[in-house]
Amino acid sequence: MAANGQSFYELYRRSSIGMALTDTLDDLISERRIEPQLAMKILANFDRSITEVLAEKVKARLTFKGHLDTYRFCDEVWTFLIKDVTFKMENSSQTVQADKVKIVSCNSKRPGDPQ
Amino acid sequence: MSNKDVGTVYQQIIQDVVESSRVDFEEGGVDEHVLEELKLVSLSPFPHVCCFRRCTDFLISKKFLIDSLASAIHSEVLASARELWGDIGSLRCCLREGQLPLAGVRARVFAGGRASGWQSKLSQLGVATFPWDPKPEPQPAIANPPTVPSNAGNYQSMGTPPINQSQPGLSMPQISNGPRIKAEPGVESPHNMNQPSTYQQPMPALQNVSTAQQRAAAHLQQTYGSRATASINAIQSGGQPQHLQQNGQPNMQQMQMQMQQRQAAMQSQGQGMQQRSHVTQEQYNQLMARNAASRMQAAQQNGQHAQNPPQVSNGQGQNGQYQGPPQTDGPGDDEESFGVIQQGGEVMGRVEIDSLIRAQIERNGRHMEGGGLMLPLRKASASQSQRQLEQQRVRQFQAQNRGLGERQMDGGDDDDVKAEELDEDAINSDLDDPDEGLNEEEDEDEGMGHIMLCMYDKVQRVKNKWKCVMKDGVLTVNGREYVFHKASGEYEW
Repeated sequence: MAANGQSFYELYRRSSIGMALTDTLDDLISERRIEPQLAMKILANFDRSITEVLAEKVKARLTFKGHLDTYRFCDEVWTFLIKDVTFKMENSSQTVQADKVKIVSCNSKRPGDPQ
Repeated sequence: MSNKDVGTVYQQIIQDVVESSRVDFEEGGVDEHVLEELKLVSLSPFPHVCCFRRCTDFLISKKFLIDSLASAIHSEVLASARELWGDIGSLRCCLREGQLPLAGVRARVFAGGRASGWQSKLSQLGVATFPWDPKPEPQPAIANPPTVPSNAGNYQSMGTPPINQSQPGLSMPQISNGPRIKAEPGVESPHNMNQPSTYQQPMPALQNVSTAQQRAAAHLQQTYGSRATASINAIQSGGQPQHLQQNGQPNMQQMQMQMQQRQAAMQSQGQGMQQRSHVTQEQYNQLMARNAASRMQAAQQNGQHAQNPPQVSNGQGQNGQYQGPPQTDGPGDDEESFGVIQQGGEVMGRVEIDSLIRAQIERNGRHMEGGGLMLPLRKASASQSQRQLEQQRVRQFQAQNRGLGERQMDGGDDDDVKAEELDEDAINSDLDDPDEGLNEEEDEDEGMGHIMLCMYDKVQRVKNKWKCVMKDGVLTVNGREYVFHKASGEYEW
C-alpha cells in the first residue's frame, strides 16, 4: 500500500517512537529552530516510514486472548478494550499478561486501494 | 515474548525518516545539523552532554545539573522543569553526598533538561533495548560511584588548593581544601558540640569548605588506600536506598561516628535562630575565622549550606566558584532548618530557596501557557484553582521568609476534586459519563498505556465471540514494546 502520493495512517504517532519524535519536534519548534510545516512533513515521512518498515521488516506473529470489554467501530477504525489479556509470541513460550489493553486498529485495505 | 527486534526496527524507521526528511530540511532552509539533533542527542545548550554520556563513572557534575535547571527556566517549559524539579531534589542530596545514583535519574535529567533528541527520548521511555543505547545499563549498586578516589587524589596534593572546580563531567566537584592533617578518630574537641580532628588552618570561609565528611573520607583513604576506599564506598552507597532518603545511615563505623558527631554539632547549632545568624554573620563579616576549632567548624558548615542553594537559584555561570563539598555520610537530619543563605540581611533555608525556584518555574510555565490556553479544557479549570494556590503559596513563602517557620512541602491541596466539580464541559449527556470504558482510557493516553496500534485484516463476530486478525502493529504493554507482522486475537464480550 505504498503507492506514490498516497497518504498513510497517522495511527502510529501514538507509539513510543512516534511520541518521542513528536516530543523532539515540539522542542525544536518551541526553540524556533524549525517551522511547524517542516515538522508536519517529518511526521508524514514518519507515517510512511513506519508503515513500510512494519510491513516489510517485521515477521513476528503473535496471538492474544482476553475478555472484550468495549468495542467501537467508527470511521473504519476499530477500537477494542480488552481485559485480562494474554499475549503469546509465536516461536516463544513466553507470554505477556496485562489487565487491559486498548487496541486501535485501522483498515488495512484503504478505500480505493486496488488490493 | 521477546522484543529484541524492536530496537533494530525502530532504528531503521529513524534512519528512514531522517533520510527522507533531509530534502525537506533543505527546502525549508534549515541547517542539516538540526536534523542530526532531531535524531540524536541535542548538543546545545549542553556541550558537555556528549562527553558526559561517555563518562564511565556516571557522576553528573553540578554544573550540568544547574545548566539543566537554568535552561528549563529559560525555555519556560513547565513540564520538563517539573520533571527536573523532582530530580533536583534527589540529585542535590546525591551531590551533597558526593554520590550520584542510577542511570534512571540520569536519563530523566536528560529529558528534563530537554537535551534529548528522538533516540534518547525513545530510550528514555525504556520500552525496548535500542542499538544506540549505551551498552550496559548499570545496576544501581554499581552505578553508585565511589567518590572518594577523586577526592583522594586531591588529598594527595593538598598543598596547592585546586581552583579549577568547574570541569564539566568531572566526577566530583573539586574542593579547595585547606591544608589538612589526616583525621584521627577518637580525638575529642574541647567543645563537645564539634567534630574532633579539626586541624585546619584558618582560611577565608568561602574557600575553606572542608567538612567532617571529607575528613572521614580522607581518613578512610589513609587507612585503606584508594581502591579499598572505593569499594567500601561502593558498598556503602549500595546499602542505601536509591532515592536518597532523609535518614540514610551509612554502614561504616567510622562514618557513623562522624555522623553522630555531626548530628551533635547540628543539634547544638540548631538550638536557635540567634545562634545561627550569629555564626553566619561571623562567617560573612569576619572572613578570617578564629583559631578555635568550634567556631571554624560551625562557620564552615554554614558556608557549605549557604553555597549550595544559590547555585541552584542562580542557575547560570560561575558555578565553579561556589562548589560546595560533597557530603559523604548521608544527608543531614535537620538540614532544612540548618541550611541557611544570607540574602540581603535575610536568612533563607534551602527549603525556602527551593520553593522560590519552584514558584518561578511554575510562573514561567504558566506564562507560556497563556494561563492555561494550551491545556485541555478540563485541566484549564483546574489550573485556575492552581493559580490561586500558587499565589497563596507565594504569600506563604514571603511570610515565612521573615518567620522561617515550617512550611508545607508536599505540594498544595489536592486539586482533583475541584477539577471534577468544575468540569464545565459536562452537558449532562450519557457520553459524559466518566465511568464508561473507553472514556477512562483517555486519561492513560498521556502516559505509557497498554495499547496496540495496528491495522485489521478481519474482524468477525459470532454471538459474543470475536475473532480478529491484525497486522503490522506496535504493541505497548507493561512498559515494553513489541512489533508484530500478524496478530490474531480471540475474545468474548
